[in-house]
Amino acid sequence: MSFEMLRMAIEALLANKIRTLLSMLGIIIGVSTVIAVVGIGAGAQQDVADQYKNLSVTSIIVLESRGQSVTTASKISAEDVNTIMSNEQYIDTATAAVSGDMQVSYGRASNQFTIFGALPNQFEISNLNLVIGELYTEEDNDNRARVAVLGSTIVEELFDGDPESAIGETINVGAKTLEVIGTLEETGTTMGQFLSYDDSIYIPYSTAEKSILGTGTRIMLTVLADNLDVIDLAFEELGLILREAHNLKADKDDDFRLLNAGSIIGAAQSTASTMTILLTSVAAIVLLVSGVGIMNVMFVTVAERTKEIGVAKAIGGKQSDILMQFLLESIILSIIGGVIGIGVGQAILPLVEKFANMTVVASVLGVVIAFSFSVIVGIFFGFYPALKASRLDPVDALRSE
Amino acid sequence: MPENILIHLENIHKSYFLSNGIEVPILKGLDLTVNKGEFLVIMGESGGGKSTLLNILGCLHPLTSGSYHMKGENIGTVRDDYTLAFIRNKLIGFVFQQFNLLSKSTALKNVALPALYAGSPKHEREENAAKILKSLGLEDRIHHKPTELSGGQQQRVAIARSLVNDPEIILADEPTGALDTKSGKEVMKIFKDLNEKGKTIIMVTHEPAIATYGDRIIFLRDGQIIDQDYKLPKL
Repeated sequence: MSFEMLRMAIEALLANKIRTLLSMLGIIIGVSTVIAVVGIGAGAQQDVADQYKNLSVTSIIVLESRGQSVTTASKISAEDVNTIMSNEQYIDTATAAVSGDMQVSYGRASNQFTIFGALPNQFEISNLNLVIGELYTEEDNDNRARVAVLGSTIVEELFDGDPESAIGETINVGAKTLEVIGTLEETGTTMGQFLSYDDSIYIPYSTAEKSILGTGTRIMLTVLADNLDVIDLAFEELGLILREAHNLKADKDDDFRLLNAGSIIGAAQSTASTMTILLTSVAAIVLLVSGVGIMNVMFVTVAERTKEIGVAKAIGGKQSDILMQFLLESIILSIIGGVIGIGVGQAILPLVEKFANMTVVASVLGVVIAFSFSVIVGIFFGFYPALKASRLDPVDALRSE
Repeated sequence: MPENILIHLENIHKSYFLSNGIEVPILKGLDLTVNKGEFLVIMGESGGGKSTLLNILGCLHPLTSGSYHMKGENIGTVRDDYTLAFIRNKLIGFVFQQFNLLSKSTALKNVALPALYAGSPKHEREENAAKILKSLGLEDRIHHKPTELSGGQQQRVAIARSLVNDPEIILADEPTGALDTKSGKEVMKIFKDLNEKGKTIIMVTHEPAIATYGDRIIFLRDGQIIDQDYKLPKL
């Protein structure tokens, strides 16, 4: 293949600008779709990663079972933590928390927030870190101290996002008052639909249980397995310990629910990657269709230039020369279309982010996939018309008008 | 085979097959010997097989049966594209009635094309192409496209193209058929000149005035050569 052949191919494409542009359009749309889709997919993956970044993969959460008619006495309780820790084999640590929604006000600002009554070790277990101030202690818990540590959303809504101004202030929760002693970093993490760490006000467990929260209180245990390898064993062990602690007979259902953080993250990730695969397949189909478009155009081109092919053969052009000449045209077509498509795709990404309100991540992978796909399409769909051209009978070709 | 024989055809048959399998014979047992340096003219009735014979000589058509020797080598049985392309490229130059130049390329690029297929480097083939164009009086038309040239000039470009790989044989299919008398005469002068410089020329024509440029005329009728040394009737 010589530079001259490349030049001839480009000249042939330029000779029919509108047709060239139209056949390129399919590739442009296909490639930009692939880039947008891969970007959206990567964005969704990142959303999942962000959402759960503070959730330890070894954590297991124990909740009350839903809609079960169980006696109050057999429900999960803070005592379960002690039972678990004295019987465990694969569990590192456990903590209990109660939560409920209450009307909270500071000055003129007022809203419904989750009050999260947690033991002091909850902060460490759930990876919650201070921005400013301090966390409450075991002593505070024992004394039922009226102190509160605020999640980032609370600081945003009650203190205009200024953590410093919150420290030492008094907030009203229901009829009671609490002193703010610390504020937490934003986590972005939610645990299912029932809890967002950022939207909660943390107070000592005993304070919450005895004097703040009334009816409608939810209880939750957070348990950490020793390590990732024993998470399944820990999961099983936890179920057995709790059944025994709650005196459940073999024919009774569990009166609790266990959520494995790893499986929650896994499910979210697989949803995101299923979406990516789905969208990528759609984009691949678009590219495939554009390939058929290229093939169509190349057939027309070959038909139009039949006489030229006959002349080329008569003056000594080999089949491989003619094949290469037409193949080059479709490859150039798809490469240029691919490059434009990459540009369009990169331009679309920020628009998707802005108007569709989705997280998108421009990835090199997307560009590589899109570009190589477009070149493959050009070669694959350009090959058959080029092969037909190269195999034309020279005399028949010369006779055509 | 004597040294001076360039082409030798023996008992050539060529048929076309219709889609329903019926055989249509075009050439029916044809013998022809062309000597080195000869200027041979092929005349004949239309449908007599003139063009088919020229296409067979130009290795554009496979034979149905018979033998084709060029310089003592049997090339009638060659079917592989690489060898056929080599023969068309290096040993034969083709000139058509309708010039058949690439309309989007300049005279220079058109002339250099066979050398491109031969694989010669750009500067070499374009230098050579320019030299040949000059020798045919087209030095100020080198960078013109076919649409900017007269018919006679286009045919001279086509002749230049047939010469670029310095072949021994020039095959011309009615080279003056699309030209006016004056341009036709100029083109024939070029052929005569090339013949004098040693090129073997085989030309199809139906015009007696053009046929007079040849050394020998063969006359075809119904797929056979009915006269190996046809004399034009005196006017």
